[in-house]
Amino acid sequence: MATSLKSNSAPLAGLEFDPSACGVLTAVRAEAYQAFLDRGVPTTKDEEYKYTPVTDLADRYFVQGGPVPVPESAITEWIYGDLDQIRIVFVNGHFSEELTTSLRGVEGLEIRTLSCALGGRQEIIEDLFGKLVKPQQFPFAGLNTGTFKEGTYIRISANTKIEKPIHILNIATADANGATQYVAPRTLVVVEGGADATLIETFATYGDGPSFTNAVTEIHIEPNGHLQLVKVQQEGLKSHHIANTEVHQAPDSAFNHYSVTFGGKLTRNDLNVFLDGQNIHTRMDGIVVIDGEQLADNHTRLDHAYANCNSFEVYKHVLGGESTGVFNGKIFVHQDAQKTDAKQTNNTILLSGKATMNSKPQLEIFADDVKCTHGATVGYLDRDPVFYMQARGIPKAQAEALMVYAFAAEVLEKITVPGLVESLEAMLFAKLNVQ
Amino acid sequence: MLRIDQLKADVENKQILKGLSLEVKPGEVHAIMGPNGSGKSTLASILAGRDAYEITGGSVDFDGQDLLEMAPDERAHAGLFLAFQYPVEIPGVSNAYFLRQALNSVRKARGEAELDSLQFMNFIKEKIKMLELDQTMLQRSVNEGFSGGEKKRNEIFQMAVLEPKLCILDETDSGLDIDALKTVADGVNALRSPERSFVVITHYQRLLNYIVPDFVHILMEGRIVRSGGRELALELEEKGYGWIEEELATGGRA
Ligand SMILES: Nc1ncnc2c1ncn2[C@@H]1O[C@H](COP(=O)(O)OP(=O)(O)OP(=O)(O)O)[C@@H](O)[C@H]1O
Ligand SMILES: [Mg+2]
Repeated sequence: MATSLKSNSAPLAGLEFDPSACGVLTAVRAEAYQAFLDRGVPTTKDEEYKYTPVTDLADRYFVQGGPVPVPESAITEWIYGDLDQIRIVFVNGHFSEELTTSLRGVEGLEIRTLSCALGGRQEIIEDLFGKLVKPQQFPFAGLNTGTFKEGTYIRISANTKIEKPIHILNIATADANGATQYVAPRTLVVVEGGADATLIETFATYGDGPSFTNAVTEIHIEPNGHLQLVKVQQEGLKSHHIANTEVHQAPDSAFNHYSVTFGGKLTRNDLNVFLDGQNIHTRMDGIVVIDGEQLADNHTRLDHAYANCNSFEVYKHVLGGESTGVFNGKIFVHQDAQKTDAKQTNNTILLSGKATMNSKPQLEIFADDVKCTHGATVGYLDRDPVFYMQARGIPKAQAEALMVYAFAAEVLEKITVPGLVESLEAMLFAKLNVQ
Repeated sequence: MLRIDQLKADVENKQILKGLSLEVKPGEVHAIMGPNGSGKSTLASILAGRDAYEITGGSVDFDGQDLLEMAPDERAHAGLFLAFQYPVEIPGVSNAYFLRQALNSVRKARGEAELDSLQFMNFIKEKIKMLELDQTMLQRSVNEGFSGGEKKRNEIFQMAVLEPKLCILDETDSGLDIDALKTVADGVNALRSPERSFVVITHYQRLLNYIVPDFVHILMEGRIVRSGGRELALELEEKGYGWIEEELATGGRA
């Protein structure tokens, strides 16, 4: 077992790899962490981090705080009011029993903390854990693998439809001494053949302190499985958020992903989906509404490996203040992926002359009989509809918010969880400072 | 109610309004006619508050307030309404939502209670019928995919819902078939009252058979060059604008 690490000087002060706590996963965790050490924190010289400076993380001191109490009244917004859900909550990376709903008794659903799963279902975890992450390419995934304290294991049994959304809520709290709160949420999801479920991942902060969320989610969708994944980034403006979602899709499966980013000082999502078979459907959409000095970077990658699959991708940005949006959409159509239908769209509205958008489609096509399109637009809000609404009595800020809402709705309204859509729309209006 | 005094305005350094004056009292209906490009829509847009124009002189008083100092939404709150010559499409915003927001903004400004969706639907039911609009248009995006005539009827429908004091209609009759013209005119006439005034911009005397004006003005080259009663519209219909141009050029009666 490669438990001894070549370098002991962790590039992030306060974060260390503790092999004694890793049990059967020691080897895989050590290897991944080593990949992070070898690579270090990327700089803007790294093409993949060109517009997204994360080097200031190296100047921080990090703590992995305890499960401090968060009152139930504080989480109303993050649990979407009275949305009926199966909810598992983590505070500073620790399982919070008080805020979690009952996880038992739902037919076909197994949901446990990773540590608990490791107790009972060790072989299964061992088989699947870490199989999709590529720490050499995604160094922060290596960091997560080495440093997570707890996580979630979800398995949906074959041919079962879970009606209620499954919700993982991660809360980082402010450290009393002003250090940066580090949390490493870790999730492993298996959607068995013919199963169907919705997973919501919400990230939030409690208190006004700096935090660094470094999340990894691995998802296996087996033949004819269906998963809808909604990711909501609602962290505070002192938060760094780096997340790597790896999805493996078997033949005839469907994956619909909606990423919603309102919060965070810096958000970087790496979403990679491998379409490993025929007749696969993939949708990955995103809506980013940020302002001030916020930065949101969505890097996505789709691998069409076999024939007759389709993928649709729509990322929309609304950028105010001096905010920065980054979108990089890679689509690889492999040689055998004939009849691929892939469509990528990236639309941006700039609400201010000081906001910037960096958009880069990257289509690499090695098959000849395919339909692949991409398009990107960047523009200011159309003045005529704003004036028209004002002329009918709607104040300017509200008129602009309505325009933004209409723009965002194309993504939000595809989410098939009714109460959630309304909550997200309300969050959007709050973000735009109108009720 | 409305007093425009020697209004001058430029667009991109080109003077469009060259000292225009007009007074509208409560309950009056004024028609403005004039050749293409004479500045009719410019006047309407300036009154509604579009910011593409530079006001270089004159003043506009609306019920004792300096209209030019007010934001477009404040003008709407104060009771000014413009039915657009070219109504704007707003993809993704439903008519019902848009109009309820508009109505509630106006009601709030008037100190009235806001209406929830149910109360709103009750409030607009009769008005939809009056303008012979299809209920389903409420769920459609504002003006998106509407025919020319539907857009114009939608403008008058909005006017009926918002119950303004001063209604400015910019070529609401253009593009309407004969039946729709009648419907729209009925809608306007139903709103006529001793407190409510209308400024009707049109090219056609025909509309004025339905909406009978108290005054007719001719706007040419950025000014009101002639005012009169209904008969002025009939005279225009018969003779066109040439005779007025000639009279102006030869320094005849202005
Ligand atoms: N935004 C603008 N930029 C440049 N020119 C403009 C602009 N708006 C109006 N104009 C010009 O101002 C003049 C008056 O236009 P306006 O639309 O007011 O005419 P109108 O009397 O309403 O004509 P019509 O009967 O054809 O509707 C025209 O010459 C027009 O080209
Ligand atoms: Mg005009």
